Amino acid sequence: MQLLVNTLIAGSFAAIMATGLALVYGVLRVFNLALGQFALVGGYVTWWLVQPLGLPLPVGILGGIVCGALVSWLSFEIAVRPFYKRHPLLPLVSTIALSQILDGLIQLIFKEQTRSILIRAKEMVHLGSAVISMEQIKLIIFTVVLLSATAWILHSTSIGRRIRATVAHSQAAESLGISSALLHRLVFIISGTLAAIAGIYVGIDQNLTPVLGFTITIKAYAALIAGGKGNIWGAVIASYFIAAIEQLAVGIKWFGYYLPAGYQGSVALMLIIVLLLIKPTGLFGRTSRFA
Amino acid sequence: MNKKLFVVSGALFFAACASNKDVIKIGTIGPLTGDGQSYGQDNLNAIRLRIDEINDAGGVNGKKIELVSEDAKCNGSDATSAAQKLVNIDKVAAILGGVCSSETLAAASVTEPAKMILLSAISTAPAVTDAGDYVFRASPSDANKGRELSKYFEREGYKKIGIITENTDFCQGLRTTVKNTMGSGASLAFDELVDQGTKDYRSLLTRLKDTDFDVIFINGQTDATNVEMVKQARELGIKQPFAGSDTSDSATMGQLAPEAVEGMRVINTSNKLGEGGADSFAAKFRAKYGEPKANLSYATLGYDSAGVLAEALKQVPTLDGAALRDALYNMNYAGAAGTISFDKNGDVVGIGYALKEFRDGKIVEIEDIEISLQ
Repeated sequence: MQLLVNTLIAGSFAAIMATGLALVYGVLRVFNLALGQFALVGGYVTWWLVQPLGLPLPVGILGGIVCGALVSWLSFEIAVRPFYKRHPLLPLVSTIALSQILDGLIQLIFKEQTRSILIRAKEMVHLGSAVISMEQIKLIIFTVVLLSATAWILHSTSIGRRIRATVAHSQAAESLGISSALLHRLVFIISGTLAAIAGIYVGIDQNLTPVLGFTITIKAYAALIAGGKGNIWGAVIASYFIAAIEQLAVGIKWFGYYLPAGYQGSVALMLIIVLLLIKPTGLFGRTSRFA
Repeated sequence: MNKKLFVVSGALFFAACASNKDVIKIGTIGPLTGDGQSYGQDNLNAIRLRIDEINDAGGVNGKKIELVSEDAKCNGSDATSAAQKLVNIDKVAAILGGVCSSETLAAASVTEPAKMILLSAISTAPAVTDAGDYVFRASPSDANKGRELSKYFEREGYKKIGIITENTDFCQGLRTTVKNTMGSGASLAFDELVDQGTKDYRSLLTRLKDTDFDVIFINGQTDATNVEMVKQARELGIKQPFAGSDTSDSATMGQLAPEAVEGMRVINTSNKLGEGGADSFAAKFRAKYGEPKANLSYATLGYDSAGVLAEALKQVPTLDGAALRDALYNMNYAGAAGTISFDKNGDVVGIGYALKEFRDGKIVEIEDIEISLQ
């Protein structure tokens, strides 16, 4: 029971990151390696508004989200838009550069120190045999709401239909009059905003250090690829799946023995490799046809 | 055009060589970014303070000391490149560092063949003892700290001991000594190794909760990971006491999770090292850099390591590596932390420990522990 709760906590965070990543990859076919830094921007701005400035938490969260959106918009204009039409791999390099610049800026502005958005002890709730904090319940519920909202936007609004059309076949979508420039910018900002929200999660539930960015990015990519590149729901399910494996790997006995905790991360990634060997398109990837 | 460039760069090269004669370069290695930076910064600031004082007083044998600081991010590979740069490119006279034990052990593989002094202020892994003839340290080996922790567990009547260890040289060394020095009747009820930088310990701690144990030794490499272990353990309802070492002796932990760390006991070099009146090291450090980010003893030992090295450099104007080494072995230096000398392995003699406790988010020293050499 506790393991299920732990999975939900870890998975919610990963799912939000992966959704943004899958959106960007699905629509722009671009790898954004600065996503973890967008998350840190969100987390740190919220910390700054809540801790040193003493503003209420909701204001801080809003500020973090707005800043995350602004930074991702700027990043799109500077590091992605000028390059991605020329070659899909160019943004790979430019976003690595961007991630290092952002890392540097975060260290410069927020100093090299471990930060936590909420300092007081959390109110713990008992659910059967499991323990969970109020904050974590809110995070889990909020993720479900956020993901449902994304689903609604994708499936029931005109923007969503345009996004799905572009994912399905970008040239055909463009020939039908879907303005890709605007759509691409929008999708990139949405993904950055989702990352910022995920960063605020980390800041509330755990703590922030300026070196976290790359680790966050890599985990999101693992989910993206395991879920079938560009498939949003695949990425979401894969995020929860990876979280579940990570928690189960150390939490229960395997053949009478506990697995050493140091293998927690590797076990999940190993399973992804096995999965990709069996099904190279990922959990929910469509088998693409080359004609 | 090319010729001109050649002449200009040649002139610059000779100019650089000429100016090198008037200064003694000392390298530093430590974490300036990343999770370990709080103690890396304290250490470096204190070294700077001591070097500035020496330079203001006329330098060493009339030469000013120039610091070349490298960021090794608390890991071996960055420390190796830092040491290579300092030895081969900057051609420093000696190196102060590393700070994390992984840094010191990796850097030693470069400095030892080059016969260069590597003097670490606060690396405490037992393996540093045998790292080389030119490797010294100003902080006692964890072989002592592990033993003192075991004795403390015995005194408190803790029989079933749990350890969560982050997978680094420093933490592994401490885990091994605690394991080997446990009193009769005591046993390890829980002994787990986690990846460096892990932040989500919930499932591991869920398992710990189902284990029957008396005390849990939080053995992480940095305060950023320790505070997560402690916080998540209390959130899951684990009630047993926590014990820690150097890396938990950090003011940051008290600020990040005051309720969770309340009552946690820590064994480390005393915070009062360097504390004193208006002329003390502590007063000078605070005036220039404010409160230490992790704890004062890291700064004090950094300050003394710079002082010891400068004293050795003064005795050996040729800056020859072997002569510097011998000078250090014969050193008896009255520093801010106490009288510092080195045993035959280059480990410090004369610095003890204190037992500390977190109270209301602050670290309070309960008693001094003198290291009994067994």
